[in-house]
Amino acid sequence: MKETLLVKHAVGGRTFIDTSRGNVEYRVERGETGWKFALYLPFDAAVEEVLKWKDELNVFLFHEWEGEPTKKTWFYVKDNPVEYDHASQCLTITAETCIEYVPDRFSAALGG
Amino acid sequence: MFHVYPSNSRYSVDAGWLRSHLSFSFGEYYDPDNTSFGVMRVCNDDEVAGGKGFGPHPHSDMEIVTIVLEGQVKHEDNLGNVEVVSAGEVQRMSAGTGIIHAEYNASRTEKVNFLQLWFMPEQRGLTPSFETTGYDRERLANALLPVVASQGGERIASIHQDMTIYLSRLERGRILPFEQAQGRRVFLFVIKGKLDVNGHELGERDTARIEAVPSLSISAEQDAWFMLIDLP
Repeated sequence: MKETLLVKHAVGGRTFIDTSRGNVEYRVERGETGWKFALYLPFDAAVEEVLKWKDELNVFLFHEWEGEPTKKTWFYVKDNPVEYDHASQCLTITAETCIEYVPDRFSAALGG
Repeated sequence: MFHVYPSNSRYSVDAGWLRSHLSFSFGEYYDPDNTSFGVMRVCNDDEVAGGKGFGPHPHSDMEIVTIVLEGQVKHEDNLGNVEVVSAGEVQRMSAGTGIIHAEYNASRTEKVNFLQLWFMPEQRGLTPSFETTGYDRERLANALLPVVASQGGERIASIHQDMTIYLSRLERGRILPFEQAQGRRVFLFVIKGKLDVNGHELGERDTARIEAVPSLSISAEQDAWFMLIDLP
């Protein structure tokens, strides 16, 4: 199973972070009130953009299995904390709810 | 401020199945100085080929209005809603806490052309909902017909924002006044024809962003079909 974490701008879909494109270590923890994503990466333009648009983020986890359709999970960040710690080079994003969906099974009209 | 944006100044995308003209930053187009006009964030003029469309994707905390100009758009979402929106109809979707939806051309052969407009809601965390209304085309003649408004109404879709979207078909030589309240903004989009607004010429698919101009005099230099949005 392959897992990919994506952080995108909710308005227009610009991708800020895509863990399939580089070695970004990350951890996902489920707590009582939601999810906490911890991404370890140097402070750069992408992190700066994430912080600039922190109230408008789309966070996804894609799960891919061989011979199976990809499952996508979208996380609702709302106005929960999005912070960067320079000492540990850790970006944390907190989300409160999520929706799972399988694009290939979503719409009969598009051949899914 | 009265700023005219000619149609060819919009960012254009041609993906074969999709031809899109973007008034604000969206997708691959990002201009940090062009991300919003008040609460307005997106104005995409989309043409989608038959049998094609946008696969499932999420939205949250955004009021999304789709005005179909030609053809039909089919909407499906994770709440089980399936609906076709046709030319002459307007759909308002409140994404609120999150909705996954797909939208595509309802026809396998004919293209669809629609305007998709995104606005920030008055408050976040709303329950996702949507509404489709059809306006009376005859009432567009030489009048500003509200098709989306905060309170909604008969054949007027409601929206979670203090704003109104009007459509109008103005005959050549006719004039419509519009009073802009203090602190408000006006976004104008000429769908067809040619307008003169306070001495500024606006042709087909041109837009204008107007602030602090108390009185607008909208006259048609040719028969014109246009959209006017009054927003904070």
